[in-house]
Amino acid sequence: MVSRMLPLLILAALWEGLTRGGLLRPEALPPLDRVVLRWLAFVVQGDLWPHLGASLWRQAAGFLLSVVVGTGLGIGMARFPSLQSFCEPLLALTYPIPKQALIPVFMIWLGIGHASKIAVIFMGCLIPIVISAFHGARGVDPYLIWSATNLGTSRRRLWWRLIVPAALPDILSGIRIALSLSFILLVTSEILAARAGLGYLSFFLGESGAYEEMFAVVLTVILLGYAADRAYHRLMHRLLVWHRM
Amino acid sequence: MAVKIEARQLQAVYKAHGQPPVVALDGLDLQVHANEFLAIVGPSGCGKSTLLYLIAGFLQVTAGALLLNDRLIVGPQRDCGIVFQHFALFPWKTVKGNILYGLEERRLPRAERERIAQSYIAQMKLTGFEQSYPHQLSGGMQQRVALARTLALDPDVLLMDEPFAALDAQTRRLMQEELLETWSARRKTVLFVTHDVREAVYLADRVVVMTARPGRVKAVIETRRAMGTRDRELFETAELSAQANVIWQLVREEVQW
Amino acid sequence: MVRLRRTLSNSYSVLLLFLVWEGISRAGLVHPFLLPAPTAICLKLVHLLVHGDLGQHLIVSLWRTGLSFIVAVAIAVPLGLAMAHIRLVRWFCEPIIAVGFPTPKIVFLQILILWFGFQDLPKIVMAAVEGIFPIVSATYLGALGVDRYLLWSARSMGTAGSRLLWKVTLPATLPQIMSGVQIALPICFIVIFVTEMLMGGGGLGDAMMLAQRFADSEGVFVGIVMVSALGYAAMRGVACLRHALLRWHPETQEWHA
Repeated sequence: MVSRMLPLLILAALWEGLTRGGLLRPEALPPLDRVVLRWLAFVVQGDLWPHLGASLWRQAAGFLLSVVVGTGLGIGMARFPSLQSFCEPLLALTYPIPKQALIPVFMIWLGIGHASKIAVIFMGCLIPIVISAFHGARGVDPYLIWSATNLGTSRRRLWWRLIVPAALPDILSGIRIALSLSFILLVTSEILAARAGLGYLSFFLGESGAYEEMFAVVLTVILLGYAADRAYHRLMHRLLVWHRM
Repeated sequence: MAVKIEARQLQAVYKAHGQPPVVALDGLDLQVHANEFLAIVGPSGCGKSTLLYLIAGFLQVTAGALLLNDRLIVGPQRDCGIVFQHFALFPWKTVKGNILYGLEERRLPRAERERIAQSYIAQMKLTGFEQSYPHQLSGGMQQRVALARTLALDPDVLLMDEPFAALDAQTRRLMQEELLETWSARRKTVLFVTHDVREAVYLADRVVVMTARPGRVKAVIETRRAMGTRDRELFETAELSAQANVIWQLVREEVQW
Repeated sequence: MVRLRRTLSNSYSVLLLFLVWEGISRAGLVHPFLLPAPTAICLKLVHLLVHGDLGQHLIVSLWRTGLSFIVAVAIAVPLGLAMAHIRLVRWFCEPIIAVGFPTPKIVFLQILILWFGFQDLPKIVMAAVEGIFPIVSATYLGALGVDRYLLWSARSMGTAGSRLLWKVTLPATLPQIMSGVQIALPICFIVIFVTEMLMGGGGLGDAMMLAQRFADSEGVFVGIVMVSALGYAAMRGVACLRHALLRWHPETQEWHA
């Protein structure tokens, strides 16, 4: 694991070396150790927590809601053709819209508090999850369906005994895409219209000229996104231990 | 001898969206006797798998009659167990989980499910692999699991759709021998579709040769009666080769390039 | 006529949506500021294109997208190929990409503004960086997966060294590169749009935020329509390009079969 991260450590050392060595202006790129100290100060003095909390709450709410609704909708569309013919054109219509473009609209409707961010994240994450759940459920090997039927599974039981587990790899992949998208939408909406949150904080600090603090917040966001993805990756591995990856 | 399955002037037509309909079977007459091992051979695309799927109830008959135990087949039923070429094991379940599946659907009590599953695990030589997942197993083992899963429900009729075609030649030989052993113990009715004529002659009591599409029965050869008893060493004998050759010539007439 | 009817019946939910939307707006159930009528939006769109400076904003966004996209391709394709062939490059870049992919890279915008000022450059750099990731990943994986028998054949016929890269690896990897490119173009476009929203300085994103600030909600919706239509057009355009470039590939030929 450490050897994998070695290039990043080298970059970090380079960062420190170039800035300390005076080759780069400290206004453009503050030395790494100062950034880390600022970050620690943030954590200890508690300035970071309300913003971190706001961001995490928004991301979690929007994302988890989209997972539940999206998976249900995607599988429902595969199960009920009438639902599919109703939803499919609507999804096709909203698919090309970059969800960041909806941020001003949600701002008008829901203000600049938590609700508008959660709504944007929900809308943005919904579509990749619905699509992958739908295709996963539809793409189940017909021989598996025949086997299950032959072994006595009724039509009703077929869905949660066979289709959902078989579609799980696709569903989980779609959710992973939605996860990274949720952070993108979170930060963008917070920069654009918010009074709290990490995105807001980084922009505010940048505007005020507090660059060391700004870099600290940027690092926090990077860590958050990476940690979330890694954690999800492990979860995926656990759930898909049976899958030939 | 009692007739287990009967097909009378059977017709099956595939209709794909936006394509002209394909007549897979037309005017097929066949009688399958109870407790016999019947092999079905024929050129590619002759509809032999289609026939199996009709009996299993996955596909619908378009004309003619298909009867199981003198009753029309209208949909999937408990009396037929099917084994596929590519195993169709549930990848998210372990070996034991797969074998237990059908027993769970039957709502059998737990103790009995365990007992039956264990017995088949032992019979199909899967001991020690109960907790393995399908992707960890070789082709031969996967097919054994598929067989165990189907046999655990003790169906009257066993439908086998080219079950050994995806295995290498050595594993195939071993599986053929094992199948005969298993079958000799409790003589179910077996319908065995294969493109391997030699395999058909080795395993079956009778071999049905089908015509090219639209498929119907071209000939039925009583192989067992011609060769006497069946045992392992039989595979390489001259008698078997002669029989296989006869049947191969019949199939060859139907092959269209 | 039949096709039109079928298309209409397939997308009845969308038609219903627009009818209900129009109805609600006309009936005054919702304040027009919150939700302008679709017809009002269309009129506004035409008005802005003909009389307003929407056309200019459009061109600004498009050239920024084009430039960032070209830069992304120019950097990412060679980088991906280098990663596949030179172990040091792969070792160095892999963790950067692994950490970079799930990061919301928009968070770097402030830093880019700090380094590159308030004009076009931070927008283009941001979009190029975001576009690089999918192309590098696709190129790298594609180049790794080139059938080594292709390479061996070429080498046995005299192709060596860098010519091998040009004559074999690149064409063989082209389908995957195109896949990465297909993903990258809409990304570049969206990122340009978002940076314009956040920074101003002309372009569709800026126009939309200006509309919002002037309480012109019709203008805001026009922005959404424009960006979606352009995004869709870009996706289709690249798909056509892919089809043209990959005429020799089985995936294209299957289409015609």
